[in-house]
Amino acid sequence: MGYLDGFPVTFKKIFEGVTTRQYRGGRDATTEDKAPKPERLHGRHVLNRYEDGMEKCIGCELCAGVCPAKCIYVRGADNPPDDPKSPGERYGYVYEINYLRCIHCDLCVEACPTEAITETKLFEFSFTNRDDAIYTKDELLVGDDGMPQHMPWEDWRPGEDEFTSGWMRATAPGGKAAFEGKVGWSGELGYGVRAPEAGQTAVEIEGTEGSSSSGDHDHDHDDSHGHGGGHH
Amino acid sequence: MTSTEAVTGVPFTLNGKDLEADSGELLIDAAERHGVHIPRFCYHPRMKPVGMCRMCLVEVDTGRGPALQPSCMLPVTPEMKVETESEATKEAQDGVLEFLLANHPLDCPVCDKGGECPLQDNAYAFGPGETRFVEEKRHYEKPIPISDLVHLDRERCILCDRCTRFASEVAGDSLIHFIDRGSQTQVNTFPDHPFASYFSGNTVQICPVGALTSAPYRFKARPWDLDAVESTAAVDTTGARVVLQSSQDKLVRVVGVDSDAVNWSWLSDKDRFSYGANNSTERITEPQIKSGGSRKPARWGDALKQAAGALRGPADRIAAIGGSRMSLESQYAWSKLLKGVLGTDHVNAQLGDGLPAALVLGVDRATIAEACEPGGVIVLVGPDPKEEVPTLFLRLRHALVEDGASLIELTPRATSLSNLADVRLAATPGTAGQVMAALADGRLDDEVGTVASAELAKAHELLTSGRPVTMVFGRANLAESARYVADAVGALRRLVPEARFLPALRRGNVHGALEMGLAPGFLPGGIRNRRTNFGRWPSTPEFEGKDTDNVLRGCLNGDFDTVILLGADPLGDFPDQKLAAEALASVTNIISVDTFLNESSALADVILPAAMWGEYDGTFCNMERRLSPMRAKVTAPGRCRPDWMIAAELSLAIGPDLGFVTLDELQAELSSSAGSFTDVSWDEVASADDGPVLSTDRNWDLEFGDPADLPTGPGYGFRLIVDRKMWDMGTTTQQATGLGGLAQNAAIRLAPADVQLMELVGHEVVAIDQGDFQVEVPFVSDPAVIPRTAWMPARLPGFDARQLVAAGRSITQVRLHLPDRDVTTGSSGSAEGSGANG
Ligand code: SF4
Ligand code: SF4
Ligand code: SF4
Ligand code: FES
Repeated sequence: MGYLDGFPVTFKKIFEGVTTRQYRGGRDATTEDKAPKPERLHGRHVLNRYEDGMEKCIGCELCAGVCPAKCIYVRGADNPPDDPKSPGERYGYVYEINYLRCIHCDLCVEACPTEAITETKLFEFSFTNRDDAIYTKDELLVGDDGMPQHMPWEDWRPGEDEFTSGWMRATAPGGKAAFEGKVGWSGELGYGVRAPEAGQTAVEIEGTEGSSSSGDHDHDHDDSHGHGGGHH
Repeated sequence: MTSTEAVTGVPFTLNGKDLEADSGELLIDAAERHGVHIPRFCYHPRMKPVGMCRMCLVEVDTGRGPALQPSCMLPVTPEMKVETESEATKEAQDGVLEFLLANHPLDCPVCDKGGECPLQDNAYAFGPGETRFVEEKRHYEKPIPISDLVHLDRERCILCDRCTRFASEVAGDSLIHFIDRGSQTQVNTFPDHPFASYFSGNTVQICPVGALTSAPYRFKARPWDLDAVESTAAVDTTGARVVLQSSQDKLVRVVGVDSDAVNWSWLSDKDRFSYGANNSTERITEPQIKSGGSRKPARWGDALKQAAGALRGPADRIAAIGGSRMSLESQYAWSKLLKGVLGTDHVNAQLGDGLPAALVLGVDRATIAEACEPGGVIVLVGPDPKEEVPTLFLRLRHALVEDGASLIELTPRATSLSNLADVRLAATPGTAGQVMAALADGRLDDEVGTVASAELAKAHELLTSGRPVTMVFGRANLAESARYVADAVGALRRLVPEARFLPALRRGNVHGALEMGLAPGFLPGGIRNRRTNFGRWPSTPEFEGKDTDNVLRGCLNGDFDTVILLGADPLGDFPDQKLAAEALASVTNIISVDTFLNESSALADVILPAAMWGEYDGTFCNMERRLSPMRAKVTAPGRCRPDWMIAAELSLAIGPDLGFVTLDELQAELSSSAGSFTDVSWDEVASADDGPVLSTDRNWDLEFGDPADLPTGPGYGFRLIVDRKMWDMGTTTQQATGLGGLAQNAAIRLAPADVQLMELVGHEVVAIDQGDFQVEVPFVSDPAVIPRTAWMPARLPGFDARQLVAAGRSITQVRLHLPDRDVTTGSSGSAEGSGANG
């Protein structure tokens, strides 16, 4: 015996019902519509452009440096003087993200000094080989209309590619209500400067401020460092 | 304590703690030593303080109440009370940083310094965090190349004076300066004079902001994706300590390490930028076999088999040239293979541009520190140190400028140190030995050759003044015999028996090669071959071998079947180009172990691809016999292997096993067989700050004989001086990014008096007539040249001076005359242009 001991279990299970549930493409159980995605859902990335079509990425590798999954590979290069890719001296010459490793934490988005890298809401992409899993700069960069490019294996629905830019980032440095409603991002191809969001409730933030004012002060101090450095 | 006791420590109070400083120690250093870091920008421990940046202000009370003072300008005085963390100090630090940042652009994300920038660090640690300035910042054109290797971004400069001080104080090339005044002050070069210094890369390393960045490293990586390992530069025999940095398994930067014994953190641009050759696409990455006139890639097994086949003949018909590029361990392995297994003694790491092995191994060796001893006397009988051993040049220059050392220069042309020399004995080629002999014999009343008696007397006085004497010796001239240098060494030893010697040979690890027996007549450890058992070697050579000169001549006579080139390129490197070419064309088999396809390896029947510096672990032995590690940072491309492994595999292909399969085993065997290495602790070599100096008690009783007579030529000629420039057509320089274009075009240099005499004024070229060989080359009138001599560095683009050299002659004479094809100033626009510039 011995090696046959397992078979009773196998046979018993064959006649039980199937419990595996098929992914329904984000649709709810009854309708064919996809469930709406939260505004700040972390999906796959895009590389943005300025309104004049210049790339925002300057190849600084800050995103690659901060990435906890070490899935970004960036190389910078001198902008060709006759055909500059980005404003300034340097542009992102190689840019790759390996989606087999990315955990969509958005730390890269927070680190980027130029709002070049942001995340879309698209998380439904299943590739069939490792090469497809590594998105190159050509694939990440938004098109001439400012819209993300659609890879054949990605499931985009109308309107889903709209909110992808620097607007996606945390809106107020240090979460301070004073910054609410102020533009903290640059304009982008296809949309211009996006209007600030009304959304975040001042009540919550005031509440936090009131509960620990000294701690919050320190936090604010640190953050304005990062912010000041980031936007010049 | 009685009043007669020497005061050793200066008591002072630092942040409430009672401490002691050394006498004369600067406050900033004393604090650092006691664990308190005072922020700074302009202060650099290897340069004089200037107090430019004010970042190091601290509150100091010397009894008159606390006041803010720059700690980099202030020697600690007794009972000084210092506060580095008081409110006043902090306010001062905030203020200084706010001012510095008033004009500093916030382009850290695209700046090569970002992430390792003292300004970033200090702003973060000591700065106010916010600025009150809202005004537009100062703007300049973004980076301007101030040389082929260095970019300057004036917007980022904080005017700390480090680069300019380095250029004038340390390197002696005052090519960058502050210009303009007030808020317009900027660093810049003189118009039309690039920052063409051999040491320009150091300014990039010490600039505390990203104002100076290096062209080869520009945008290659960011500090956080660099991987680093400490190693030793191997481009010359100084052995400067470096850090190799790589990103994505490619070498991207080399940075100097402050080794007190060797390079004081400075590097030559060749040390710093030669790594580019590692990344060249021209590397040989797989073994190649020549069949029927064309080279084909081959498997290691086949290539080794073919090489082994060529080595089966009689030992005395096999010769090996080169080996100074390799690590000490590889040199041992090759030495064992060639001498112990194959049994040939025709092995030489020097390519006719060195000095006799017995001389280099046997004289009492000085360390660099001993040579540069304050108040010492340095005798230079050798090449221009700036061209061939540049890091040593910086140390010598410091000794002469700052430490009261004196220099006696006995060279056939003026060098970069001549203006600092106390006595310059301008000896024409072939006369150095006679001049030194006259000094040794006290014959000071008559001139010797071109050296006046007054100069002899001055030199004699310095040498006999009782001050410590060190001779820095090497080959000043490839067109004269090495014999004269040996004569000079012998004569100095007679005059000053306790003198020490520092050989200024040029080729990388050549001292390691000589120690490992890659020279005729020697076995590892400086042991003379007595044809008896040696260590664990199967045998030792049965005969005394020939040096490279005679091996090449032997090739012409059909004395050799197989020549092994160990990273050597005789066609590109041997002083007598014609001999090298004819010799290699007439041997049956050439086996080349190399990294690039060069003129010589292109002739090889088998090419075995070797790993380069930075791709293997091993040991470097510098001019002082200091042992320091060379480390692997990146993977060798393709199927390249470290040289010692190639030796071991080749030996197996022939038959015998060399007996080591790891580097540790190799080092253990090396220690046990090579006498002077018995006490070497390889752990110490790997970990010590400066690396141990190999102790030997050789000071051999060398036979020098009488110095050769003053050579007499036919009398019509100019005595030729051929030497090397830092930048030439050498493979490493040509293959490294950014260095290829630095070699200047060849020109023959003549004394202004000769230019007058020969009525060459107004011409651009001079005709060289060697009987069977005529050529016209550009000439330059140069006061560094002694009349009736002609100086021409080898291996430059345009014309290679080695074509004029005939190996074996004691001196070389060239006949010069007016060009037949008359190019005069009148008919040539460019000559007029240059006249106007002058
Ligand atoms: S989202 Fe997080 S894991 Fe993904 S690339 Fe950005 S930093 Fe890396
Ligand atoms: S942080 Fe932003 S600008 Fe820098 S490399 Fe990443 S995406 Fe480009
Ligand atoms: S360029 Fe750099 S080293 Fe030179 S003065 Fe400016 S900040 Fe100092
Ligand atoms: S470090 Fe002292 S003034 Fe600059």
